[in-house]
Amino acid sequence: MGRARNLVSLSIGFIQCMLGGIAVVFAYLVYATPQMRETLVIASEEVYLCMFVALIFSMLSIVSGLLLMHGENSRE
Amino acid sequence: MGETRLRRELGLLETTMMGIGGAICAGVFVTLGYAASLAGTALIIVMVLCGIINLFTMLSYAELGAAIPTAGGEYTFAKASFGGFISFATGWFEWISNMFYAAFSAVGFAYLVSYVAPWVNVPLVSVVTVVIFSLINIKGVKETGVTQTLLVVVLLGLLGVFVAWGLATGSGAGGFALSSPGGFFGVLRASAFVFVVYLGGEAIAVSQGEVKNPERTIPRAILLTCFSLIFIYTLVTVIVFRVVTPESLAGQASPLAFVAEQFMGPVGVVVVTLAGIIAALSSVNTSTMAHSRVAYALARDGYFPKSFFHLHIRFSTPHLAILIGSILAAAVAATGVVNFVTYATDFGFIIGFVFVNLSLIKLRRDKPGLRRPFRVPLYPLTPILCIVTSLMLIFFLDPSTLFLGAQLFLFGLVAYYVRMVGYGRVYLAVGGMNFGISAFSALLAVLLWSGVLPVVLPAGVGLVVFVVAVFVSITYLVAGFLEVTRRSEARG
Repeated sequence: MGRARNLVSLSIGFIQCMLGGIAVVFAYLVYATPQMRETLVIASEEVYLCMFVALIFSMLSIVSGLLLMHGENSRE
Repeated sequence: MGETRLRRELGLLETTMMGIGGAICAGVFVTLGYAASLAGTALIIVMVLCGIINLFTMLSYAELGAAIPTAGGEYTFAKASFGGFISFATGWFEWISNMFYAAFSAVGFAYLVSYVAPWVNVPLVSVVTVVIFSLINIKGVKETGVTQTLLVVVLLGLLGVFVAWGLATGSGAGGFALSSPGGFFGVLRASAFVFVVYLGGEAIAVSQGEVKNPERTIPRAILLTCFSLIFIYTLVTVIVFRVVTPESLAGQASPLAFVAEQFMGPVGVVVVTLAGIIAALSSVNTSTMAHSRVAYALARDGYFPKSFFHLHIRFSTPHLAILIGSILAAAVAATGVVNFVTYATDFGFIIGFVFVNLSLIKLRRDKPGLRRPFRVPLYPLTPILCIVTSLMLIFFLDPSTLFLGAQLFLFGLVAYYVRMVGYGRVYLAVGGMNFGISAFSALLAVLLWSGVLPVVLPAGVGLVVFVVAVFVSITYLVAGFLEVTRRSEARG
């Protein structure tokens, strides 16, 4: 049970860190590429709001992911 | 240990050059055009006014710097007066804004180089610049000070050539009849825009832990910096309007180079571009020193990891703080996102101004017996005036500045919370946030599935967003469960 939980925690933590990283790249792409804004139907005045949401999501994901991985490592 | 091992090796000359070099950045060479379109020839008065406002705030730095001469600048002042989250937030904004300022100056330098040599790769040059100055900073504070002095002396020499040449040659199409096309509001907007060129002089306060005889040197260096900046900027503006009209500066990529070309020919373009390049380099140098000393001070008080507090055995510099801050600055510089970096920098510096003046007022009330080798004149009028003008400046900056400011504040809040609160409570809080994200993603997926969402996405994109929303919802639900149950295990 303990091993399975460790494995799940490490996997989910890793996925959350990856999602956080992808969200940062997404925020940058929304800021820098007009094609991306067109595809996702984001108006120019909504760009900063979109970046704001993406970066907050990214930060929470990375913090949560690191906590999960750190927690399991420290138990081992 | 720690604080006493930082070597006090900066004299009055090096400290003053830190202040002047920190303020005269590459941005100075491009801001004149837009500011002239707002304020017309009244820009000369705007320059003097902004200089005086800057002087008032710098007087607060002089009083606090001479009274509490330890590394960290604004953060150290806020720590002595407020402590807790306010001091952390001040240090956080200071650290981030100096790091972004290093990135901004490196990108500015790379753009100026690409103006002369169009084949260079701007992101690569920016990153290499940050790396070189981080190595100089690691080598020692003496080397940093000498590099800064050399750069600023050459910079002042080039600006001196511009001014002397401008005074010697006959006047051009310009004139001194004061006019402001945007009226009083235009003058105010130009003030908010131009004030940015005075920012950076507070690098003196950040490096005060390494200044010789700080009680005398810091106030002197700050006053010298302020008066030099007012003199230099006003003189340059006078030469500009002596040669050209404000209207002719509109739309110029490099207004100062354009003006120089009018009375110096191609030599003028070279002189001004070279001055811009050197100004950018000196800003990278100063801000690298600044962000590392703030991180060092934050680590000293337990807000940042202890590794930031380690000093190099041979060079006595906080090498890990320099290295980590420079890696982040290089990453930002590599993206070349100049606007984002500029707004974040401005916001951080202005918030720093507000907290320094608040710290001055609080310390005068709470610790009247503190030994103050220098005292701000006209107290409390001076700090109150500075707080009001600083807050006004924030609202005259681009609206996205506030957005970014809120974002940086939230990042700081999370960093503080994670660092200062026990891990058990952090797990519970983050677990709760994961449940929230999971619920929100599930709602988004349901709305997409049912077609209720009032946004029309292309068919393929809609499917991708739906799949991502479902994946995020499940992942964060599991993450939240793991974190919340871990907390209950810890309690048990």
